[in-house]
Order: sequence, then C-alpha cells, then structure tokens
Amino acid sequence: MASTSSSTNLGLPLLVDRAGPLTRELHLALGGGELGFVPERLRPDATTTMVCGFCSTGCGLDIHLQRGAAVGLTPNVSYPVNQGMACPKGWEALAVLDSPDRATAPLLRDPHGRLSPVSWDQGLRTFTDRMKAIQKVHGPESIAFLSTGQIATEEMALLGALAKFGMGMLHGDGNTRQCMATAVVAYQEAFGFDAPPYTYADFEQSDVIVLVGSNLAIAHPIMWQRIVNNPHSPEIVVIDPRATETAMQATQHVSLFPKSDLTLCYGLARLLIERDWINRSFIDTHTSGFDGLADFLQPFNLERVCSETGVSATAMEKLAQTIQNGARVSFWWTMGVNQSHQGVRTAQAIINLALLTGNIGRPGTGANSITGQCNAMGSRLFSNTTNLLGGHDFSNPAHRRKIAEALQIDEQAIPQEKGLPYHKILDGVLNGKIRGLWVIGTNPAHSWINQGQLRDILDRLDFLVVQDMYASTETAQLADLVLPAAAWGEKDGTFINSERRIGVVKKVARAPGAALTDFSIFKLIAEYWGCGSMFADWKHPEAVFQILKQLSAGQPCDFTGIEDYAMLDARRGIQWPYPVDTANGEPERRLFEDGHFFHPDGKARFVWSEPRPMPEQPDSKYPFLLLTGRGSAAQWHTQTRTSKSAVLRKLYPAEIYVELNPRDASDLKIKPGDWIMVSSQRGRLQAKAVIVHTMPPRQVFVPMHYATTNLLTDAVFDPYSFQPAYKACAVRIERRTNGDAPR
Amino acid sequence: MLEALATTDAVTTPRQNEVGNPLLLLERLLSDQQNLTAVEQFAKQHEAAGTSPRTSRYHQVLPASPPGPGQQYAFEVDLDRCSGCKACVTACHNLNGLDTQETWRDVGLLVGGTISLPVIQHVTTACHHCLEPACLTACPVNAYEKDPLTGIVKHLDDQCFGCQYCTLACPYDVPKYHAGKGIVRKCDMCSTRLTAGEAPACVQACPSQAIAIRVVNVNQVIEDAEASLFLPTAPDPQHTYPTTTYKSRRVLPRNMLPVDYFQVSRQHPHWPLVVMLVLTQLSVGAFACGIGLEWFVSTQWIAAIRPVQAVMALVFGLLALSASVFHLGRPQFAFRAVLGLGHSWLSREIVVFGFFAALACVYSAAVVAPVHMHADGPVPQQWIKALAASVVVVGTVAVFCSVMIYASVRRDLWDFSRTVTRFGLTSALLGLATLWLSLAALALIRPTESHLALVASAGPKICYSLVLVTSVKLGWEAMLLRHLMSRAMTPMKRSALLMIRDLANPALARFALGGLGGFVAPALLLRQLSAATLDNAQLQLGVATLLLFGASLAGELLERYLFFAAVAAPRMPGGIR
Repeated sequence: MASTSSSTNLGLPLLVDRAGPLTRELHLALGGGELGFVPERLRPDATTTMVCGFCSTGCGLDIHLQRGAAVGLTPNVSYPVNQGMACPKGWEALAVLDSPDRATAPLLRDPHGRLSPVSWDQGLRTFTDRMKAIQKVHGPESIAFLSTGQIATEEMALLGALAKFGMGMLHGDGNTRQCMATAVVAYQEAFGFDAPPYTYADFEQSDVIVLVGSNLAIAHPIMWQRIVNNPHSPEIVVIDPRATETAMQATQHVSLFPKSDLTLCYGLARLLIERDWINRSFIDTHTSGFDGLADFLQPFNLERVCSETGVSATAMEKLAQTIQNGARVSFWWTMGVNQSHQGVRTAQAIINLALLTGNIGRPGTGANSITGQCNAMGSRLFSNTTNLLGGHDFSNPAHRRKIAEALQIDEQAIPQEKGLPYHKILDGVLNGKIRGLWVIGTNPAHSWINQGQLRDILDRLDFLVVQDMYASTETAQLADLVLPAAAWGEKDGTFINSERRIGVVKKVARAPGAALTDFSIFKLIAEYWGCGSMFADWKHPEAVFQILKQLSAGQPCDFTGIEDYAMLDARRGIQWPYPVDTANGEPERRLFEDGHFFHPDGKARFVWSEPRPMPEQPDSKYPFLLLTGRGSAAQWHTQTRTSKSAVLRKLYPAEIYVELNPRDASDLKIKPGDWIMVSSQRGRLQAKAVIVHTMPPRQVFVPMHYATTNLLTDAVFDPYSFQPAYKACAVRIERRTNGDAPR
Repeated sequence: MLEALATTDAVTTPRQNEVGNPLLLLERLLSDQQNLTAVEQFAKQHEAAGTSPRTSRYHQVLPASPPGPGQQYAFEVDLDRCSGCKACVTACHNLNGLDTQETWRDVGLLVGGTISLPVIQHVTTACHHCLEPACLTACPVNAYEKDPLTGIVKHLDDQCFGCQYCTLACPYDVPKYHAGKGIVRKCDMCSTRLTAGEAPACVQACPSQAIAIRVVNVNQVIEDAEASLFLPTAPDPQHTYPTTTYKSRRVLPRNMLPVDYFQVSRQHPHWPLVVMLVLTQLSVGAFACGIGLEWFVSTQWIAAIRPVQAVMALVFGLLALSASVFHLGRPQFAFRAVLGLGHSWLSREIVVFGFFAALACVYSAAVVAPVHMHADGPVPQQWIKALAASVVVVGTVAVFCSVMIYASVRRDLWDFSRTVTRFGLTSALLGLATLWLSLAALALIRPTESHLALVASAGPKICYSLVLVTSVKLGWEAMLLRHLMSRAMTPMKRSALLMIRDLANPALARFALGGLGGFVAPALLLRQLSAATLDNAQLQLGVATLLLFGASLAGELLERYLFFAAVAAPRMPGGIR
C-alpha cells in the first residue's frame, strides 16, 4: 500500500497525501490465531481467553495482550457459550476499567465530612477497630455484610467464611437476592437442589420456546443469538405485558396483565390436563404431587383465567395447542417472574408445566431460569449466606461437621442457622440491631427497592464500609470508609454462568493506584482482625478453588473432577456436575437426563398455592401501573460500569425516560419528549416521555438504570425467596406545566 | 510460537515472616497486584505473525464473488433479524481501533403500529457507500474516492484538511469530525478485511447475522431510489443513491416514525464560518455601496471617501478570510482547496474569495496611494472604476459560491432562494452600515467643511436605505415563525421551534440588535443631521455611528449563528434521546 501511494505522490507530496501518519493510525493487520484483522498498533503478542464480567451468559472473550497487559478484546469463536459474539457491554468490558472515578486509595470520612485518602494500614485498622467496637457493645450480630454476584466464587467463599467463621457475623446477603433468589427457592423445592437444568444448546434444539417475563433480545443478546440460530423454525412464545424487542420477534406474544402470570400458568396447566395433553408416564415415574395439583387447578377454568389475565380464550387455547404440538418444548423465565410478590410460585408453576408435559431432561426442553449477574450462580453455591458453603445447610449438623473438617476449623465457629435475608438486614439496621454494614461490589443506594427509605436506613448506621471499584457510586458517596477494589480483568478466579459453566477470569490489567482485589482485601481484613491463621490455606484464588472443589464433593454440584484452572481454561469452561471420573465430558450437558431428581425419593415435586392479588393496585389517585426493567443492551444495572464507556454512553438515552401508550399520552396532553412527573406513594421523579404502542394502556415503563427509578418502587417481597417485587407498583403521571426540562 | 507455562504458585507464595505481620502481607499483595500473570499461568497457542483472516463463519454474510461491471458492494440489513443489541457499533469501534468516543455506526429506532399490533424496529446504519456520494462531491480537497471496482466510498485521512463540509453535505450524518486530529473519518466497509475475505467488523459481530455484504446492481439501486424503496422516514434516496438495502418480510405500518422524530436539537454553530460569512458579505457589500455612493456625490467628495471606504471594506474582508482559516482542522493544507474546483462549491468559494482579496488589495492600494506611486500622475479614473467594478463582480460571484455551498446540501432552511436572499440582504445591510462608518470616520477624524457637507448630503440617503433594508430583512427572517402553524413536523417547523425554544435567547437578541442598528441608530442620526450643525455634536455622532455599525454587525452575526444552529439536518432514524 505504501509503495503505490508514494508513486502517486511523486512530485506533489503536499498536494496529495494518500498514506501519511493519519492513514496509518487506522491500518489493520492480522492479529494471529483466530483473531482475524485487528488495529495494527494494537496487534497482540499473545491472547488469553476469559469469561466476561457483566451478565450470567458468561461469554468467552479473547483478551489481546501486549507484554502481558490487555490492549483489546474479541469474543472467542470457539467458546461454547457465545461462539464469537458479544453484546456491547462485553465489547467495552476493558474500556470501563479506565476511569477517573476509580477508587485508587482507601477513603475515610474526615471531620469535615469529606472522604479523604488514607493508607491501607489506616483504612484496615479503622475497619477492624470500628467493627469490633460495635460488636463489643451490641454483640457479634450487630455487624453484617451485603455482597454481590459480580466477584469471583473464590472471593465470595472467602468473604462468607471470613465474616461468618472468622469475624463472628451471623448476617450477610448478596445483591443476588434482587435477581435470582426466587429461582433458587423454586428449584430447591421442585428438584431438591438449586439446579438450573439446561445448557444453552437447548435454545437451538427446541421446537417450542416459551419465554416468560424475559426480554431476552435486550437483556441477554447472546442467548437470543442461540434462538436465532435454532434450525427448527421454532414457535417462540413471549409472555410479557410489554411488546418488547423479544416479543417483536416472537411467533406468539401473549400480553397479559402484569403479575397475572401465575394465574396464566395455572390456567394453562388445567387446560393441558383437561385435554390430556400431558405425559402420564413421566408424571407417574418421576414426579410427586400430581393429584393434588390437578385438584387445586380445577377452579382455574378458561373463563376465570381469561378475565384475570386479560388474555383471550383463543390465545390460551393456541398456546396450549402449541405446547402440545411441540416435540421439544423449553420454558425460560427471567426477572419478570423472579421480581414478583409471588415469584417463587410463578417459577414453580412454569416448572409444573415442564414436568406435566415431560419436557425436561431431553435436548431442547427444560424449565429454565436465566440468571442475571456473571457470578450469581457462584454465589448460590459458595457465598455462605443462605446456604452453607457448597450448597449445604447451616441447620444440618452433618453438613456443619463436613465443612468444619474440610476447612480444619472449629465446628462451633459455624452458625447453626442461615443469616437474615437482605431486607431483614435492612430492617435490623432500621431497628438498631445492626449498626455496622460492609457493602461489597453493589450499589443499594441506587438499586434497592423504595430508595428513599433505604437511604434513610443507611443513614442510621454507625459505620458503613463500601468496597467497590468506583468511589463515585451512590452508596460509596454515603460511606464512612471506602475500600478500593480491583475489577474484573484485574484479578484471577472463577465465575459460574446460567448453565452451570465454571469459567476462569484472569488478571490482564493493572489495577489503578492502590486498589486491591477483593480477595486480597479479605485476606488483609482476616489478618488485621486476627483470624488470618484460619485462612492460612486460602493462599490465593486457585488454592481456594481446590478447597471449594472438595466442599462440593457428594453434592449435586460436585465438580471434584476438575483438576485446576488450566483444565477449565483448556476445556473452555466446564459445567457442574463434574465429579471425579466423569465419563461424559461433552462441552454442553443438561441435568435430569436419567429422570432422577435430587429429592430423597428421586422425584420432582409439583408445588402450588393460591395466587394473591398484587399488593399495590392502581386506584383513582395512582391510576397507572409502573413496570421497571432493563432499558438497553448497553446498560448494566446501576450503570456504575457502563456509564464509564464513552461508546456505551452513546448507545443509551442519557436521561431517564418513561414509556407510555399514545392513548394515555393524548388523554394527559403529553407530547413526545415532554418532561413528565411520575409519582407513587413513596416518591416522585421527572422523566422524558417516550410514547409507544408497545406499552399497554394504563401501564408505564421506566428503566431501572437511572438513579431515581427506585424512588417509586414499593418494598414488597416474595414470601419464600424474599426477592423484591420491582416490577409493579401504582403511580400517577402528570405533564409538567410547560413540558420543559426540569431546572 | 508456543507458550506453555503453568506455575500457579509462582507469584503468590507467602513469605514465612508474614504471619502475624499484616504490613508485610499488605506490601506483598500491593506488589502482586501489579504483576500480570495471565500469560504465565495460562498456556495459549498464539501465532504472533498470524496468517489467516477470520473467515470460517461468514460465508452467509459475504458475497460469493466480487462485483462485476455495473455492480458494487453494499450493506444489506435484515430488519427482521435486528433486535437492537448494538453490538455492531461497539465491534466497529473496537475492531477498527477508533478513538475513545468515535463510532461509525448508529442504531436508531422506528416506532408505530396500533395498540393491538404495536411495532418497534431497530435500524442499524453506517455509511451507505452511495452511487453519487454527496461527501465526495462536496469535498474541496478530493479526500474522498469511490473505488471503481468495489464502489466503496473511502476517505483519505491524510488528504483531509478538516473543513467539515462533508459533514454538512452527507444527508445521513455519516462523516464524523474528529476535533483532536483535525480531520473527518468514516466507515470504509472494512475494505482491508473484505479484500482478504473477512467480513467487516459490524457484519462479523452481529449475533443475529442481520448485517451482510452483498453485490448490488447500480441500476437496481437507482430504480429502488426512484420508487423510494430505501427506508421509511430516511432522507430522500434520489439525492445520493445510497446502496444499503433494508429488507423485511413484514410490511412496516405506515405510521412508523423515528422515536426521536418530535425532538428538535440545535446544530453545531460553526463560529468561524459565522464570522467568515458575515464579514465577507460585509466586505463585498461595502465595496458595492462605495461605488453606489459615487453615483450620488461629486468628484471631490469621491476622492475623499474612496480610500476610507476601500480600506474599511478590505480590512473586514481580510479579517473574514483569516476567520475562515480557524474553521479548518488542518489549516496548513488550505492550499489543497484548489483540487476540488471541478465539483466542490467550497473549493470555488475559497478560490474566488482569494481572487477577490487580491483584487481588493490592488484596488485599495490604487486609491490610497495613487499620487506617490505613479511618477506620471495618478492612476486613470477609468482604470480605478474598472478595478472597482471587477472587485464587486468577483465579490458577488464569491458570495454566490457561498450561497451554493449551503443551497447544494438540501436543507430547507438553506435552500437557494432563502440563502441568496439572506446573504444578499446581509451584504446590502452591512455594506450600508460600513459606508456610514466610513463617512462618519472621515467627518470625525478630519472635520473639514467639505466632509461635514458630505455627511449632511449622503447621510440621510444611507440612513433611509438602511432602515429599508433592515425592515425587509428582519421581516423576512421573522416570517420563518409562520411555520409554527404547520401541523406537519417539516424541517422548517423544526427550525422555527428551535427559534422559540432552545435558541429563543439568541433569536430575541438578534431582533433586538437588528432593530437597534437598523432603526434606532439611523433615527438618532437623522435627528442629528437635521439639527443644523454637526460641530457641537461630535460625541453624539460617534456614539450613534458605533451603535449603528456595532448593533447591525452583531445582529447579523447572531442571524448567521441561528442560520447554522437552527437548521434541521436530515439524518437516519435516531434512538431515544
């Protein structure tokens, strides 16, 4: 290229310049291996594959390295999860590490009320002194932690063990309470263990795909890709009040009243039983409780179900017929189900449908929960919060003994009951029983339901510690002490994705300033606390992996057959279970192929109960129903990370907006782009009006990513999983007098 | 090259004396944190000198053979597959090594349908590699090429001097100006990748395979454009013949609109261009008014006023041309503007204004220093007159080129008749204001009897003319607001809405200043002129003159700011903003 241009330039280099330095800046060159062309100046000298750190899809990303440091990435072509693709967050995963908002030193609130940098030594001494002082006066239970699904399994386990066995805490929970607690309880009761049964290949093998409360195309674009690649021209049924992107691509969109999905599933089950479109032999052999279910379902006739869900009888019958016609029907649910006042029963009603029709344990089937965070599944097994490490039970003496022996600790150090769930920990703060709170890698001041009250609760704490990669999160701004954490990409460990695949994350970037991995911070706190010797064997993440492996022995999640990180790396992630001597080493495996479930009788259970009305119904004062959820594929949760990429910022609306139906807009004289006030009993916010037919009348949608959204939401919880019901509360909307931007 | 090392304990083995000494542990952990170990810990076969492009998966999204005669490459977007994840934007950004904020692809959103059948449709869009690219035609330095074989419209980054005219000319908002580098950059359909059989970044990164490269027939593109088969709500394809095909098995409802359709947003004001346009028009107008005055006054007065007026006009003209340089990202290459003379109105404007400046210098020199420079007497009057006429003619042609720069990019506020009216009236208005400034300067600096008589004689004519031109111009500008009554969201209505919303303050100021300079100041002057003597009123004369000239000029600068900021630019559908 250079030679041709120099000949053209001959004699007139100033007048015509076809290949100077500016052109060279954008030159591409082959990057080596499977990479294809990459920017020449960023050509890697090596690459390494690791799992993405945003959502639970768990895509494999090839990190491009120059002298060991990351300079770019491309999605790995042969990783079984994503097959060469990534969503915008994955593509920008490295960009968000580099931000002036990163926490680079411990920050301590000074006498003037400002957060000022201090040394690690001072930060850690302050941490232990203040926490111990609180415990001394108010008892060991008076300090608690709130953790995350965004850190490595090894880090979660160390935190859980340190807090509960070393520091004497009883209560700790994760932000995973906000996204998958419902699925956990649903699976435990139905299958005998929290075990999502599927593998992503099921998306490609189904001939009927039923998505409940899931905008897969936007929330999990790479899983959606697997549906797009399905060669069987599947029927795609989307059950969602909104006509989402996913509904647009569906063959059937069932738009139902919000939170009527439980009734819909019961009605569907009754219809299937009534027409004998069920798998009797599977039910008899592999399930228990069918007769009780059949009796319970009697009142859910079409007339009732149609009136309570707003779905037509034709649509119900078509849906039942579609399920009956399907040879391989898979059911999938996400936050529309999980974040509900009756989420567990709804999830179980979906599981019931799969069990009734025998759609489980075969390719392209299953009752499948799609999880949220990159390591929510790691936390389900190893956070040591609701379950004792490795999916064990705190209240089971044999389990406590097993763990104590494996960890070589005093059995008495293990609490005999599970700790309080998230909302009860906050209640504890409210009533003064919990006075010190340690928040790790999560942002409750933005994300927790009924935010106004939450901020009031955090204000009551004697000592709030926030450990995060950014010092700018809403919660860090409220902290007494901020501990600077290294991020994904700056540490080693493993994540477990939605399909139970354990994959590695690696240290490919230098953490800014004095930021340390969460693992290192926990090790240091153990040392400063004086219980460091308890974790002498927990030398580094891979050593902990070996410990966790042993803890999993004999459990449904047994992965003792995985040798080490290198094996995980070479095999591009391995799904649990993977006990020693696993014969089937296929890269994609599903559970229950033998029809054997984890209850002692080997059978799956039907679980049901009477639907309950939505706690906050619209009334004359608050006549609209507010739905919240993901806005775009470029946004992640409270945006602490995604807002740090200049490119991602261009891909989502900068300002909070509210979607509403044209009919409602016209009634209220709201025009597109007007600023409107949305208020609930708890708070109000101003948002820009986006008028779309995809919103059913009398319902509005506000994305969860904006700081004020949760001022509106109602702190209602599922009674079994204690997951907050973010998806529905009553609101009023009004046009601001002049429709102009708030000042 | 094979690298296979797997020693996991290498970096994190604790030292013995750390036990019971947290500071030592802290020190080691801080130091470990900065060691990057992924390469040592995890073996990875990697051929640094890589041989193969990323080809295996993409046969469905690439054409089987290269384009033949009458054909070219084009993007094809399957709307039924695009679910709006926007991976294409980020992949293009990363795989092409673009700057932090830079993106060459956008995803917009169309919404419509009915309550029972709502429709939302994401639309991914990049350069359309048009048959008749407006960017290429507009470019004054030939920094665009359309590849004769592939049809790819490629931007030559080193050739670009950063005038940004292509960013105004492209109806699809494709070329993006990079202020830091002083140039424009844009999509080249990843021609390096295509040549090697690898799919462009956006194509290979789309999880739904919604984007493909196809070979299209040039005739088909033209036929489709004539039938408006491009994309609902997109700019008229007959202007540039965009080659991208948007396909769908579904019929989009007829009420589909971009979700940002009702939003109006101010455009870039291009301040150097504001100054350049107003001052060049002032300069040309001032030369013309100078000649005009000569028809009304006697020879003796002509000799007095001519040098002042010429210098005044020249100084503003030269100021204008220096301001224009500030608009270039790389002004050192301004001379390349001659290259586009055959097709670019910007090229023509630059060249003709250069010629104008040269002529104006000669003319000014001739009228300022005629006696000393010519041994055999002053320059003959007919030469001077011919020179003056040629300055005005060339200046008028140059202003016409300015008009065409904007008229040719097909924005309603900038169409030919509106722009020619606007620029012409500015020339007249500021020409008169400058003429008054020259007269007043003459009278104030050399208050001779003769000069005062000149002012008394010519003053009222100039003042009345100015009031007339100002009334016409302000009235004409205010007529824009009639588009507010239009029900349709026309481009002119968007401009009008901007004038009463985002740009309300500058718009008010523009009219206030216009009135001050064109009505209040002339009225004051007329009163002073009618009051018998000027002798005792030098201060008032000076103040009123400054008010007349300053307010008129400031008013015109604001008018031109609004010309840029309130224009409605055509674009592809946008997202929620």
